Amino acid sequence: MLEPAPAISLTGVTRTFGAQPAIVGVSLTVGRGEVVLLRGANGAGKSTLLRVVATAVSPTYGRGAVLGFDLAAERDEIRRRTDLLTHRTRLYEELSAAENLRFGCALHGIDPALVPGALERVGLAGVAGERVAGFSQGMRQRVAIARTILRQAELLLLDEPYAGLDADAREVVDRLVLAARDAGRTVLLATHQPTRAGLATRTVLLEAGRLQPHPVPPPRAGVPG
Amino acid sequence: MSSLRLAAAVAAKDLRIELHGRHAAGLALPFVGTLLLAFGLALGPGRALLQATAPGLLWLALLFASTLLARRAYEAEAEDGALEGLVLAPVDKASVFAGKAAAMAVELLVLEASVLVMVAVLFELPLGRGIGVIAAALVLGTVGLAAVGSLFGVLAVVPRAREAALPLLVMPLVTPVVVAGVKATELAVAGRGGEAGSWLGLLVAFDLVFLAAGILVFEHLLEE
Repeated sequence: MLEPAPAISLTGVTRTFGAQPAIVGVSLTVGRGEVVLLRGANGAGKSTLLRVVATAVSPTYGRGAVLGFDLAAERDEIRRRTDLLTHRTRLYEELSAAENLRFGCALHGIDPALVPGALERVGLAGVAGERVAGFSQGMRQRVAIARTILRQAELLLLDEPYAGLDADAREVVDRLVLAARDAGRTVLLATHQPTRAGLATRTVLLEAGRLQPHPVPPPRAGVPG
Repeated sequence: MSSLRLAAAVAAKDLRIELHGRHAAGLALPFVGTLLLAFGLALGPGRALLQATAPGLLWLALLFASTLLARRAYEAEAEDGALEGLVLAPVDKASVFAGKAAAMAVELLVLEASVLVMVAVLFELPLGRGIGVIAAALVLGTVGLAAVGSLFGVLAVVPRAREAALPLLVMPLVTPVVVAGVKATELAVAGRGGEAGSWLGLLVAFDLVFLAAGILVFEHLLEE
């Protein structure tokens, strides 16, 4: 029986913005079902790396595959199977939480009847009909997490998902990662403060756009990295 | 999801945002009203001059309104990175374009009803005789303005684009719409609506060209 292709396989990927390189020669393999913590200081290139994997930006040089699909040639196949969650929630201010999620369902072919259940899971069932414009950052992030719950993507890309969240909301993110791990899905979690490092099976470090060659042991849970 | 249903979902989303935010009513309509009033005062009380300039002012007002609405439609996408959500959705981007254009056309048509009444009152434009031709010109012109605005409106939210990029690009492109709309309206109010066929034909051709261009190149603009 054939081994499934790795969740992520990058070879010599460089991405520049103008003359400024954001990531340089990154080669990374992430197996199916792994939960990998991507550490690095602000500006190290974590967000760019995640966005390359999500096909939000193309590599300037190098090649790669995500879930067995080529980064350059099979973007829609990758997009169908991956979900990128960032501190920018991609919500429409003038729409309610439920309306935002229903539109997400329309984009991704998901049954909109699942929306109330997803909002219930992130503790926002009571404000489903309220406009996102009146929500705090934490509440917006919960709506975005509800959208991620609806997607059930094979590969979850989390970019600083704890930023600006209170303890309860951080718990919601933790539960999301744990549920993905238990379901055998792959998670790449980028953070410069891995206060939930215990969730990860492996840690990699990005410094000035370059992936460090030696594996980094995950910091103890509860200890900022 | 079929292309048509996706386009309908995008249009419904944009119209819902407009219903909640009332940007057309709160921004474009007051702007257009002020513009028409200022021109009316500047041109003076002469009835003949007001009537002669009314078709041109009507279409200029619609051009400015369409630019404002196109900008607003994409500002809503850019507020919290929603545009990236559209980019990363594994869907036919031509349907996204069609949905955005349809929503903008509906918003413009609603706006046009108010603008037409304003022009008729302020400039004593006799609408009765050629209302059929005027309505046809407005509907066809609206499709063209919405197609161009929805296609290039995305440039309004590109970080490196200058503030004036959208109007500088859109206004020259839609000149044929304005010219054809003005000519058809002039003929209609002069009781010669039957001679407006070639101008309406130009509007149809413009609509087809820019709807096709949107379907073909919107994905490229969105991805870049």
